[in-house]
Amino acid sequence: MQASRARLFKEYKEVQREKTADPDIQLVCDDSNIFKWTALIKGPSETPYDGGVFQLAFSVPEQYPLQPPQVRFLTKIFHPNVHFKTGEICLDILKNAWSPAWTLQSVCRAIIALMAHPEPDSPLNCDSGNLLRSGDIRGYQSMARMYTRLAAMPKKG
Amino acid sequence: MVSDSIINASIPVASSNPKDFAKKKRANRSAKLKQCKLDARREQWLSQVKNKGSRQELNGGGGACGQGMQVTNERGQLMEKLAIKPRGEAEENGGYTSTYNDFDSPSNSPTSHTSSLLEGNDSGTNFTGGSSSSNSSSSGGCCSRSMSEEDNEGDDDCLDDWEAVADALAATDKKQEQLNSSLDSAPERDDNVVHMSSQQEASDPKVPAKDTSQQNPKGRGAVPGSPVGIHAWRPNDAFRPQSLPNLSKQYTFPMNSGRHYRGGSVWGCKSLSIPTSCPICCEDLDFTDTSFLPCPCGFRLCLFCHKRILEDDGRCPGCRKQYKHDPIEGETTKDAGCLIFRAARSCSMISRS
Repeated sequence: MQASRARLFKEYKEVQREKTADPDIQLVCDDSNIFKWTALIKGPSETPYDGGVFQLAFSVPEQYPLQPPQVRFLTKIFHPNVHFKTGEICLDILKNAWSPAWTLQSVCRAIIALMAHPEPDSPLNCDSGNLLRSGDIRGYQSMARMYTRLAAMPKKG
Repeated sequence: MVSDSIINASIPVASSNPKDFAKKKRANRSAKLKQCKLDARREQWLSQVKNKGSRQELNGGGGACGQGMQVTNERGQLMEKLAIKPRGEAEENGGYTSTYNDFDSPSNSPTSHTSSLLEGNDSGTNFTGGSSSSNSSSSGGCCSRSMSEEDNEGDDDCLDDWEAVADALAATDKKQEQLNSSLDSAPERDDNVVHMSSQQEASDPKVPAKDTSQQNPKGRGAVPGSPVGIHAWRPNDAFRPQSLPNLSKQYTFPMNSGRHYRGGSVWGCKSLSIPTSCPICCEDLDFTDTSFLPCPCGFRLCLFCHKRILEDDGRCPGCRKQYKHDPIEGETTKDAGCLIFRAARSCSMISRS
């Protein structure tokens, strides 16, 4: 309890200090609860998510950092490893490969990397995974780009 | 009088040899007072010399300008090499003044020494070089050289000792030597002083400069450890006061940087560049924690987090490999603790060496 709080405070300070260090990630702590964070990440370039801004919700357990934070997408995203409805993320470092040395910032980086490199073999979004596994790269990309434009981009005119 | 002064001189030298900074500070303060006295006396005495001035020739030669002169000459030249006194005068001048500084600055004892000597010599029989103001320095140099060659036989041991002092770094030897030198060169020191004062008389505009140069080593106050190893510390002492701390910083800096570099090479820059706090719980690492290296990957964490991880899944946060001492820990905690501690120690030793 106390350890997780201290650790989160330190991460908060770190985030405040290095706000401009990583322009692709904006980590914001909840005003009243340090165990609730939200992050805005930019879709990586040369992917169908390019140009989109995706919102993540962090729920940090009290055993953090021994237990990984629970992260999900608040923004709808078409990705084989993200549940289309709940936004749940299938990522090994958020499950069994978690290390207490990771931080929320590094989790954000890992999620950006996952967006660029989907793993269709462990899909949460079966449609997306099936498209990729069947080799329909173009189908996957167009679907993902469409949802990015619909959900992750500011509405234009 | 002279013997008294020598005793006075020897006491601060001995007392300042151990690194007792408080004493040293006190000694410095008293030395400032003594310096004031000395200045006053010098002024008095300058006026006397001015009165006598012209009728006294270099009569102080003889045996008086003996081995100490030579010694100081050596040292003066050394000082000159170090460009402590970049003044466009003859070598001897710089040498004398700087040796004077040298004796003056480190251990305040010479101040009292010289001042009392001045007092003792106020009768003025010994005032050499008072008249030949422009020649005094060069003649002094000649005198000292000839005298040194003359007295080489008689004072071989002393000279050898001084060379040994120049070479050796043993502090005790130096202590002895300084005492010896202060004893041996006592009659010559006032010759130096006389030369100085004659210079001052000759070139009045230089007097303030000289005074400041004499004051400077005092004004900076610290002058630590210099009487112990005049030769070792002289450059720092006479030239820059900050250089001593700088030196010590330089000593510590490479060690730190090396450790940092090592840490960085082992485990990125994140976890080991901040070795003061545990990367997991962000609590400060105490000594036991910092010497605790549970995993060969070099990831450090506090014992508390390590125990919690062992209770949990027992994998190193750095490399995600199982901690090696897990099973032993499961059987008997005591042994495991010892083992882990030993491993940590050896690892830390390795990483440091």
